[in-house]
Amino acid sequence: MPQVYIMAAITLVISLAFWGGLIYFFTGHQKRYFWLLVLGLPLSTIANLFLKPQAIIIVGQTFHVQPGLGLAAPVWFLAFKVLITPLVEEPVKVLPLLLGPAWKMVTSKASALWLGFVLGVSFGLGEALFVAYAVAQNPAYASLPWYAYTGYFSERLMACFAHGVLTAVLVIGMQRGGQFIWFGYLAALALHLFMNAPTVFYQFQWIPYELYNLSLLIPFIVLAVIFERIRRGVREPKDDQYAREVVFWQQQYTEEHK
Amino acid sequence: MEDQKIESTRFFRPRPSYGWFWLVLMAAIIIAVSIVPTLEVGLSSSNAVLTLIVCIPVALAFLILAFWFPTMRYELEQDQLILRYGPVITYRIPLGEIRRIRRRNLGLTIWSTIRFPGIALFRVPYADVGNVKMCATAALNNILMIETEKEKYGLTPADEEAFVAAVRAKMES
Repeated sequence: MPQVYIMAAITLVISLAFWGGLIYFFTGHQKRYFWLLVLGLPLSTIANLFLKPQAIIIVGQTFHVQPGLGLAAPVWFLAFKVLITPLVEEPVKVLPLLLGPAWKMVTSKASALWLGFVLGVSFGLGEALFVAYAVAQNPAYASLPWYAYTGYFSERLMACFAHGVLTAVLVIGMQRGGQFIWFGYLAALALHLFMNAPTVFYQFQWIPYELYNLSLLIPFIVLAVIFERIRRGVREPKDDQYAREVVFWQQQYTEEHK
Repeated sequence: MEDQKIESTRFFRPRPSYGWFWLVLMAAIIIAVSIVPTLEVGLSSSNAVLTLIVCIPVALAFLILAFWFPTMRYELEQDQLILRYGPVITYRIPLGEIRRIRRRNLGLTIWSTIRFPGIALFRVPYADVGNVKMCATAALNNILMIETEKEKYGLTPADEEAFVAAVRAKMES
């Protein structure tokens, strides 16, 4: 068995514990979102094996671009290949909302945030499996022991969170309806491109590998800031803990304190 | 003079928790997932060296904090309250500056310094009350907050009733 699968199993367990724990604690110990974690698992494979390659082939054939040119392909085609990932993946991630029970859970901005986040994390977990499968097909990695894949581990752990934030942005747009659906989609698209920027820069050989590794952290931090701002924005009155507080002592304000 | 000071100082322990376990667990995860694999693969690349430079101090810091866990205590002196955790935390709260003492649950944010189930240390941001200087064996629930004009402090004395009574008695004396 290719050793990358061992690291994939570790990555899945830790990602699930980490991001599942975050969902559990931040939603006030709610478990009702967890069943959605199953729905997104096959979607990355569908997008990466069928939809994206097909779209690239169709566009290439239509405009007579030979396959396999790599960086020698026309610039517009390279740009299209960069764009195709967010263009396809963002709508695919919200496909489970076509199921009635899933969409019925979107009753407020807060539920849209968490439902979107769960679907994104689920997609990220499936993507971790797909990437492990892709790595296992490459003979160049066959001799590596499982512990050589720490880069895979940290990248996939962060990618789960990133997908969660992107999908949450889109689902919040869908919950608001009308033009906000497009705003949500375009925002998720732009953030996805931003998230992929270090990988694209590295593939185009614009940055060295060391810088690429470090620069993966930047989109992650930006997405964490966005996530926290959204989360605070959708807090509901019941989340406030003031009602349960006990004041033991409070200074009596006199004129001199005013 | 020193003896008199010690005599007039009352010590309070925090309520028990397994916070130390989480610190050890974090160190173990970093060692298992980053340090050991990097050492096994070898230090041939600059990435491997960078990984060790970042991860070894972080893992060590978690282990050292876990080692100091039993040293967490609250010292009530004649004119100040001191929150201590090993040599890394010494928060002095002048009793005359205290504006409010209350117990409440705190709202989670994704940002933190050291905050795990059963332990919260240093300045931790909370969703509802902002930054709190924590020296507590709980991260969110039943935190005793002591507020001054400039700062908020979070602690978890084991005998909260006796602690609050003692602080109030000192403040009024």
